[in-house]
Parts: sequence; structure tokens; C-alpha cells
Amino acid sequence: MEYRSQKIAYWYFAAALPLFVLQVVVGLWLAANYTFTIPQSIVNVFPFSTARAFHTNLLVLWMLLGFMGGTYYIIPEETKSEIYSEKLAWFQLIALLVTGVTAIVGFLLGWTQGRPLLEIPTELDFVVVIGALVFLFNVGMTMLKARNWTAIQGTLLGGLVFLALLYLFGIPFYRNLVIDWYYWWWVIHLWVEGAWELVTASIFAFVLMKLTGVDRQVVEKWVYVEIGLFLFTGLAGTGHHYYWIGAPKYWLWIGGIFSALEPLPILLMVFDTMHHVKQRQAKIVNPLTWTYAIGCAVMHFIGAGVWGFLHTLPQINYYTHGSQVTVSHGHLAFFGAYALLNLMTFYFAMPRMKGIAEYDDRRGKIGFWTMCSAMMIMGLTFGVAGVLQSYIERVLGMGYMVAQGYMRLWMGVTMAAGAFFLAGLLTTVVDLFTLRPAKTPA
Amino acid sequence: MTKKTAFWIFLIGTLTSAALFLWATYDTQRQVTTLSHVDKLSDEVVAGKRVFEKYNCNDCHTILGFGGYYAPDLTKVVQRVGEEGIRYRVKSPELAFANSPRKMPNQHVTDQEITDLVAFFRWVGEINNNDWPPQDSKKRISRGEQMMVAKVGVSPGAAVFQTKGCMNCHSLHGTGGTFGPALDKIGATLSAEEIGKYVRNPKGVNPKAMMPSQKDNLSERELDEVARFLSTLK
Repeated sequence: MEYRSQKIAYWYFAAALPLFVLQVVVGLWLAANYTFTIPQSIVNVFPFSTARAFHTNLLVLWMLLGFMGGTYYIIPEETKSEIYSEKLAWFQLIALLVTGVTAIVGFLLGWTQGRPLLEIPTELDFVVVIGALVFLFNVGMTMLKARNWTAIQGTLLGGLVFLALLYLFGIPFYRNLVIDWYYWWWVIHLWVEGAWELVTASIFAFVLMKLTGVDRQVVEKWVYVEIGLFLFTGLAGTGHHYYWIGAPKYWLWIGGIFSALEPLPILLMVFDTMHHVKQRQAKIVNPLTWTYAIGCAVMHFIGAGVWGFLHTLPQINYYTHGSQVTVSHGHLAFFGAYALLNLMTFYFAMPRMKGIAEYDDRRGKIGFWTMCSAMMIMGLTFGVAGVLQSYIERVLGMGYMVAQGYMRLWMGVTMAAGAFFLAGLLTTVVDLFTLRPAKTPA
Repeated sequence: MTKKTAFWIFLIGTLTSAALFLWATYDTQRQVTTLSHVDKLSDEVVAGKRVFEKYNCNDCHTILGFGGYYAPDLTKVVQRVGEEGIRYRVKSPELAFANSPRKMPNQHVTDQEITDLVAFFRWVGEINNNDWPPQDSKKRISRGEQMMVAKVGVSPGAAVFQTKGCMNCHSLHGTGGTFGPALDKIGATLSAEEIGKYVRNPKGVNPKAMMPSQKDNLSERELDEVARFLSTLK
């Protein structure tokens, strides 16, 4: 840590981690809903829908906190200046947390916009927008005042502005359901396959550059190619959500072709990560942080690239659309692309903020491998359930609950894998909060 | 490759894709008017959409394939279970799902709200969405029916019974819906001809019948097969 104001990032990370734990606990409850029969009296008070709104909103909340924290950590080192206003950064952290907690309690009481992933009521949306504007102002002013422009800063700022703009499309009430879903995907798809990719590409490049000591010009060159490919495939690739919503037929072509190309930028990311690690100028001090970086690239490729590719072809998607296959892809992709990216950032930044040059990584390793194997198993069991569902319900036409009966066993296995995931996550969170210097420095 | 070339790759890639995407957005906005029958998008339908959102239905059910995967897709729900079927499930889920391993919450939805909801679903069911979902597609599901006969070895009538939505209301051996009567012993009281006549026009036989006519839903051959199958259940 070179600048005092970088410290604010610690509190963003500290707020994000317990929310991640809560998200996974609720996830286990969701799996229990699939595995066991929940009595009517409980369902009346706390239905699956409310729990699902918790699970997804907590995901967005903790990941955005992680990205914002990551941004506040990177910006001072990139611009070579302190953050424009630490007070604003604090205000924005508290505003976001209060909004998040209010929203979650509100869901319990039935206060909802009733649209998946965008359940937050309109009144709270405005608080989110104000928070986002404060954040962008603070980051933008820091960069403007410093005038040390780099490609990493540009990508980060571009991604954050894009992210905030897209959120606006999720706020209004749409009379027509088709138009509603059309713009719903501007928030959801263009976030995860557009804006978030820009933010993570930039954070990832920064961490890689610092870890490996590879020349900035080389790292930034690859960032341009990657984000170019991400946006080229990702923007028009939104089309793979428009096959069955009542949009024109040409989306089958646009969506099919551009989505088939979507694994390319991720593959490139895997290759250049490996390349940078091979060409490293610095020695490996904290191997776990390196493991996270490579793990992130690889799992990103499996979850988003391979799994995404497998079911975005229209001919396959006709049967798998809106089934547990989607769930399998969603879990692997979010974990690989964004959960590991955030955890990598935490493992990179948190020891530095505590002044630990070389940390003891024994618990952290157990956490990493437990989470990765558990999530891989979950991806497979959700996938088996999804294939069963597609065949029994959609191909044979045997009815929704008949198919769910065959899937029940696999949802039970998913729940067990989820429990392992939680164990791995708790190990990781405890480790991050109580990092200690390694006992015997080499 | 220099950093400058890389930058141009980024710029051209992004702009090409964005231009295509924005053009298609403009054109989609225009075409959706016809594809979704905007002329039938009445205030009642919009009120139904608000009800759908008010009770957060979409976090358990999918519609057009999006939402929670915990409960059946609602795109073609009117075609599948009919207005009365929807009313029964929303109003008395504790009865409708008494035998089901999965429950639906009773959210005390008012009668007017259910009427609006049905209008909304009816409109959604008519959206021209490339014949999705497959399980409700007239074109595809006949293939599913043939596959059951060929691969699973059930009689043609039993295949019709399982794939054409009869079990959304009726049950056999405790599996199926509770809205209509269980049909385990229907053959003891009705002959194949009587059943055939009933399913073609339920109200013609019993004016108080809740069951919708299956004449448009099934072909003549399917109607005969299912009647023959049911008449063997004694």
C-alpha cells in the first residue's frame, strides 16, 4: 500500500465478505426447497421467491462492493495520487449498505418491484443511482486531477460509467412484457458480458502487472485486444436472450453467431495470463494470490466460455432455455469470472493493507481448493438435473413435476456440494480477516 | 502488434458490434408491435402484469423462460390449464398442491386481481415467440407423444394422457392435479364412447362441467385413443 486513502478499500472488502457468506447460506436453503417438501405454513411466510431474491441481490451487492473497493485500491497507485475525497467514499459505502439491507428486509415484507434480479423497489433505485453518481464523481475527479492517464484507468472508468448507465434501463415499468425483457437484458447481460468484463479486465491487468512485473505496455496492449473482443462478441451476443421472447427471427442468427465467438476473449485471457506468469520479472512471493489469478482465468473460461457456448446455439437452447442448465452455467460463470476475481483482489490487497509482505497461506489454500471443487461438482449436478429436465419435460413432454421428481436426487447432491462450498468459503473469509505473516520467510 | 494497433482493434470491434446491436434494437421495437399483438395489449393486461409483479410470481415461475426455475413456465398457462385452473391454483394453493412435494404460497390474491392476471397470461400466450416452449408446442409435442409410444412402450392413449396436459387437472395413482376428479376407476362408470363424447364437449353432457372442450386441443385420433385408454381403467 503506497497511499493512505487506499485503506478505504479494506472496509469495502470487509463489508462484502459477510454478505457473500449470507448469499451462500440462502443458497443452501434454496437447494433444500428442491430436495425436501417444505410445509405450506412456511411457504406462505417465506416462499422460494423471497429467498431467491435474497440470493441474487446479495450476489450483486457483495460483488459491486468488491469492485468498488478494488477500484479505490487501484486508483491511487495508477494515478499516483490520493483519492479525491475519502469522505465521499465513506458516504457511498454506508449508503449502499443501508440500501441493501433495507431492500432485503423489504423483500420479507413483500416490498418488491417483482422483476427477477431487479426486485429493488423504484424508491431505492434512486438511492442506488445517487450512490453510483457519487462513486463515479469521486473516481473521475481523482483521475482528472492527477492527469496520469493509463489504459487500465480508462478501461475501469469506461466500465463503471457503462455499468451505471445500463442500470437506468431496469428502472421504469414497461407495459409490454416483450419490451420489458428486451431491456431487462440490457442490465443483466450487458452488465456481466459487457460492463463487468471491462471492470474485471482492468482490475485483473493491474494485479497481474504488479504480481509478475511484466511491462505495462505489454499488459495494456492485451487489455485492449481482450476488451475489444469482449465487447465485439458481448454486445451483439445479447441476442442469445432474444430467441424466444417475441423478437424478430434474425436474433437467432445474430445471437447464435456472436455467442459462438464469446469464448474467444476468455481463451485469450487464459493464454496471456499464462504468458505473463511465464515471462515474470518478479519472483513468486505469495503463491496463493498467483493461484487465484490462474484459477480465475481457467474457471472463467470453463463457466462462462465452455458452458455458455454449450447452450447458446438456438437449436440446443430451444430445449435447455429456462431450465437447470441455465442455473449450472450461471453458477460456474459467476463464480469463475467474478467471485474468484474479487477474492483474488482481496488476497492481493488485504495483506498489503495490513503491512504483511508474505502471508501464511495454508488455510487460504484449503479454502480455494474446497470452493473450486465444490463449485465444479455443483456445476455438474445442476447440469445433470438440467439435461434430465430438458429431456423429460421438453422433449418427452411429460409434465413439469414429473421431471422435477427425477431431478430431486441431483438437487440433493447439489445441496451437499453446497455445504462443502460454504465450509471452503468460511475458511477463506476467516483467513482473510486474520491474515498472519508466514512463519519462515525463504 | 503494437499498442496502437491493439487500440484500433478495440475501437473497431466495439463500434461494429454496437452499430449492429443498436440497429437491431430499433428494428425490434418496430416489429414487436406485430409480434406481440400490441392492439390486444389492453389496460386489463397491463393491470395483470402489475399483479404478476406485485406478488413476485416471477421469482418461482419462469415466463418466456426467464425467472425462477422452481415452478412451471407460465408462457402458455392459459392454454395448458385454462382460466378456472389458474383461479383454483392461485386462490387455494393449499388444496391444489396438497399432494405435491412442492407448494405454492397463498398470497390472498383478490378475485379482480386474478381476472387481470388471466388477461395478462392470455395475451402472453399469443406472443409469436418462435414456438417456445417445446412442451406446449403443437408441432413438437406430437413428436414427444410418438417417442413415448416407441421408446417407453406405453399405449398411444396413455401417451396422449401424459403429454397433452390431462394430468394438470386429473390424477392417476395419486400423480397429477387435484382440480379435476381422479380417474383411476373411470372405466367402471363410463364407456369409451361416453368418455369420447364428454371430452369433446363437457358442457354438452353436464352443463356445470368446469372442463374445457378438448376438440381444438387434440386431433380426432388422439381423442379416440385417450377415451379408449381411460375406459380400460377399472
